[in-house]
This record gives sequence, C-alpha cells and structure tokens, in this order.
Amino acid sequence: MTVFKTFLKVLNKCKFSVILNTVILLIFAGVNMQASDTQMNFEATKPDILIVNQDTNIGITQNLTKYLEGNCEIIAVKDNEDAINDALFYRDVNYVIYIPQNYRQDVLKGENPEIQIKSTGDYQASYAEMLLARYVKVQNIYVKELVKQTDNKTLADEKVENEIIEKINQTISKQTEIEMTSKLDTTGLEKATFYYNFANYTLLAGAILVICLILSSFHEERIRKRTIVSSMKYQKHNRILLLGNGLFALVLWLFYVFISFFVVGNVMFSMQGIIYMINSFVFTLCALTIAFLVGSIINNKNAMNGIVNVIALGSSFLCGAFVPVEWLPDTVLKIAHILPSYWYIQSNELVKTMEEFNLETLKPIMINMGVVLLFAIGFIIVANLIERKKRKIA
Amino acid sequence: MSNVIEVKNLTKEYKTLKAIDDLSFEVKEGEILGLLGPNGSGKSTTINCILSLLKFSKGSIQIFGKEMTPNAYDIKKELGVIFQEVAVFEELTVYENIDYFCGLYIKDKKVRKQYIEEAIELVGLEEFKKFYPKQLSGGLLRRLNIACGIAHKPKLIFLDEPTVAVDPQSRNNILDGIKKLRDNGATIVYTTHYMEEVEILCDRIIILDKGKILAQGTSDELKELAKIEEKVTVEINQLEDSMLEKMKKIEHIEEVNYTENTLVVTYNKGENNLGNLIEFLKRENLGYSKIYSERPTLNDVFLELTGKELRD
Repeated sequence: MTVFKTFLKVLNKCKFSVILNTVILLIFAGVNMQASDTQMNFEATKPDILIVNQDTNIGITQNLTKYLEGNCEIIAVKDNEDAINDALFYRDVNYVIYIPQNYRQDVLKGENPEIQIKSTGDYQASYAEMLLARYVKVQNIYVKELVKQTDNKTLADEKVENEIIEKINQTISKQTEIEMTSKLDTTGLEKATFYYNFANYTLLAGAILVICLILSSFHEERIRKRTIVSSMKYQKHNRILLLGNGLFALVLWLFYVFISFFVVGNVMFSMQGIIYMINSFVFTLCALTIAFLVGSIINNKNAMNGIVNVIALGSSFLCGAFVPVEWLPDTVLKIAHILPSYWYIQSNELVKTMEEFNLETLKPIMINMGVVLLFAIGFIIVANLIERKKRKIA
Repeated sequence: MSNVIEVKNLTKEYKTLKAIDDLSFEVKEGEILGLLGPNGSGKSTTINCILSLLKFSKGSIQIFGKEMTPNAYDIKKELGVIFQEVAVFEELTVYENIDYFCGLYIKDKKVRKQYIEEAIELVGLEEFKKFYPKQLSGGLLRRLNIACGIAHKPKLIFLDEPTVAVDPQSRNNILDGIKKLRDNGATIVYTTHYMEEVEILCDRIIILDKGKILAQGTSDELKELAKIEEKVTVEINQLEDSMLEKMKKIEHIEEVNYTENTLVVTYNKGENNLGNLIEFLKRENLGYSKIYSERPTLNDVFLELTGKELRD
C-alpha cells in the first residue's frame, strides 16, 4: 500500500504535466479533425443566373427559359450591361444567358443559333453552363432528326414544334433511380477513425510521458538501492508499480473514450464504436508496456519529452495516424509492420468499412489485436530482463 | 557479546583490480565499528558486498548467524542502510519520504506513525516535516537521509560516510543521533575517512587501504601501533639546518621536520619532552609564537602504516 500511495503522490506531482499534455493533445486532435472533416453529405443548390431574352418568349424559346427557371435560381437585374457586369462582379449572379433575337425561328430552321453567355467562372457557373449545354445538345439532336425527315416548312409547323418540345422535355426529365445499399454513417465513421487513429499518438505520448516520469523517480539508482536492501521483495515492489501504471493507463483510456462520445457522437453507440473502444484498449495495454520498457531503459527526466516525441510522433507518422494510410509509400508501410501502431491503425481502418459483424468479418481485426498483444508481451519480457540485469549489476 | 556480522576471506575483483582482498572481520552486537580509510580503500565496496548489492568473488558473509543473500528478507528486515548519496524522492515531503521508506518494512500504520515521529525527533527535523527536499540545506538533507534509513528501528545499521559535505551543526547532530541509536541497542557499521569521527564515535576501528585490513582495534590500541608517543609543534621563523641537526641530538627525539615556519618534533618515548624542547629553544635564543604538544592521531598511525595521509 505504501508503494501504491507513493505512486499516487508522485503522479499527483506530475499532474501539471499530465493536464498540460492532455489539453495540448486534445486541442491538436480537435484542430486536425476540423481540418480533415470531409463532408460526405450534400445539399442541392441551384446556380444564380440571369436570362436576357431578346427573342419572343414562345415555343422553343419559352421551353428553354422554363427549363432554366426549373433548374436555376433566376435573379432579376436591371436591364443594362453595367448592372449585369456589377451583378457578376459581386457574385449576385453566376451566369448570364443571352437568348438571341429570332432564336426560336433559327432553331426551327435547323440552324444552331449562338447563345451568348457571361460567367463568373466558379463551380456554380460551370453547373449552369452544363445545364444549358445539355439542353441545347438534346434540342439539336431532335431538330436534326426532324430536319432529315421533313423540309423546313413542315418543321416550322406548330405541331412539329410541339413534338420537338415534348421530346426534349421527355429526354431531359429522365432520371435514374439510385438505391443506396450501404447504410453506413460514413461521415461519423470517418470522424471516429480519425479520432481513434489519432489516439495512437495521444495514448502513446500520455502513457510514456507520465509513466516514465513516475518510474524515473522510483528507478533512480539511489532509491532503487534502498528498495533492494529493504525487506520488501523487489518483484512485489515492481508488481505494485505495474498495477499503479496499469490503473493510470486505464484512466487515460477511459478519458479518451469518454471524450470520443462527445467528439464522434452516435457512431460510438454502434457495433463499430464498440470495436474502436476494444481496439484502443488493447493498444493502451501495449502503450503501457512500451512505457514500462522505456522507463526501465531511461531514467533521465529531462530526456523524457524528446523520447516521447520520437516514439509517439515517429510511429504515428510512419503508421498513418495523421496521414491516410493510402498516401504512405510502400517502403514506409513495410517498415511500419514492425510497430504495434500499424496493426492498431489497420484495425481502425477496417472498422470504418464494416457493415456485417460475424466471425469472418471480425477475423482480420482480431488478428491485428492479437499482434498488438504479442508486441505487448514482448515489450514486458524485455523490460523485465533489463530490470533483472540492472538489479544484478547493482 | 555475540557476532552480528562475520565476514570471512571476502574478495571482490573487477577484472584485474582487487577492490577487496581477503577481508575477514566481525562486528559484535551493540558496538559501533568504524571502517576507516581513504577514498577508494574499499569501504563502500565492503558494505555493498555485505548488503548483497554486489556479487563478491570469494569468501562468506553471515549476518545474525545466517548467510546473507539477495533474497534473505528475514535478515534485511533488521537492516538499516544510509548510503553516501542522499536517496529520497524529490516529489515527497520530509514526512512522506520517511513514511515511504519505513513503510517498506513496517505495515502497521499506527506503529509506523510513531516510528516516523521518533526518527524525525532523533535527527532534529521537527520543524521541516512538510518541507520538500529541494527546500532543505545539504545538512538537513543528510539528516533526512539518515531518518529514512533508521525509522523502522533496525538492529543493524550501516552508515556509509553520512557526514560528507555537512555543516558542523548538522555533523554534531548526526553524530549525537548515531550515539543514541547505539544506546538504544543498535549495532552500527560506520564508514568514513574522517579520523576525528571514528575516534569519538567508534568502539572499534578497522583501517583499510587498497581493499586490505592494515590494522584493527580500539582507538587507543591503534595508537599504540605508532612508533611515536608525542608530537610537539612549534611555530617559529627562520630555522637553520645546523640548528635542526643540533635538535636531533636531544634525547627520545624520533624525527624533526621543519616546513613553512612550522617545526614538528616527534618523540618515541620519554617524559617532559615539551619542557626539554622549550629549554633548548631558550638556550639557543630562538623565538617562537606558538608551541603545543599532542598525542599521535590515527592519521599518524595511517601515515606510518602506508606512508600517506588518510585524506590523500
């Protein structure tokens, strides 16, 4: 109990470092999440256009303006060029369409009258241009077809014009039915994956920094000697320290999981959320053993921050915690295989696309978790060997 | 009195260097044994071997009649160790530090509390209970270091140069505390290179050099080993070599040494040596500012045995 109480007292002395580190990491994570917030849903918007109709608004011309009115937002601007240019400049209007005089007649003659436009060049203007081009293309196809069948006289016939209008409208009103088979909350999952990938850094950095600071006090050569000559078994002393550090790691993990419910939201209540939590817990165990190993090798408190950066930042960059795994070169990914972070992040990436949960789909994730646990076992064995060797030398 | 520690033929080798060479000695119950020797003489190595902190090449060590090993926890619970370097937690207060190290031995909270208070009182840190080590002076830190090592009331205490770099007030406090521990029944092994300390503190002294025992016994027994019986020191200006030669002819004088206006005359025996020397100086019309006589010190013994000073 004495050792455990002292562990807590030393931890309490490190609280400033712990709080500062946690706040910095959370801010860093928040900023990164904002930056990488890829919107997967959309809201339909219509481009703002102005139609300057110099033709009589009947027949084919009227059909064109109706089509544009249905797909775009028609903005009223004073009928002079300065006002139109101003509207474009101030982005009140994205696209101006000038329907020329005798447009209807020229079309019915089988000609392709030129429609003048003015554009802001932005994506809304491009969309308006696409709508116009689509309409004109369909219109030209039907006009050309009828030109082949009849002469110009009959083409100018009101019946034929109506037939063309009807065919154009039929074609452009055709819609493809799309059924979304996936019911995944892709936005939420993207966020959750980013958060838990980022936890690779936060958990590693937090665990190594705090645990190593505490261990450096207990493992200081002079205090170690005093502990060894005492009547408390050194193995028992180390077990209590491991228990204390394990408790701290658990609290650290619970804290980050708790925060994830606020940051990520509903996904955390789904099956994917549970897997994210289990995976991060397994990784926390591994982070604990890494911290124990580092703590058994290095006792210099001043060097601790540098070591945290090398291990936590290094593995995070190499294994894709900050940068999507797909962007990393093959060589880097091959090297990353020797780090537990890689297997942890791979599991997170797999969870993102999972829809069915059965033994087969969960198998790769379980294998990854197993690899992370093997790393943990390896680290704790090495840490124990170092401790034993140090004790013998002492 | 029974033997608390029995060291037989202890040898510790580092590759080609013999740090301890065939050391054998005993420590009797209730005594303060002083291990005296210059830096590097093997004092700390001997203690570390006894405590099983270091493996030794040859020999055997028994404490309380049992063989001492790294896993001899029944022996360890009766040991108190104060190392040369201060070993405390920077993050804990004076009280918490003592509580931690005492807690490694004593589980009962009530008993521990009482023991901690007694240890604090023994080293005189009552006013500093809530202080952190950083807030303490070097002397107070040493006292805290001692309190951490003895709070659990061990039967056998090892003190490895506990007064190094300590102010006179703290030194006196520490030495008084050690005497109190002995009076309370503890057996103490005390290593130092300060001969004054072993003279006033230790019941028995072992003089070590290069890992070997040069001599052992009480302070008086060791001084008997010295060829000289009396040493007279005179502060005198300008003394010619012919006068030194003349002086050497005085009865019982062993050696005459004159350096930096200080004349040291050593006698192998005889009575009224100081009076005879004063008479000689008067007769030869030699003025002096100060003259005093003293018995040989342990340093003189060490000097005779090794040809070098203890603090070399």
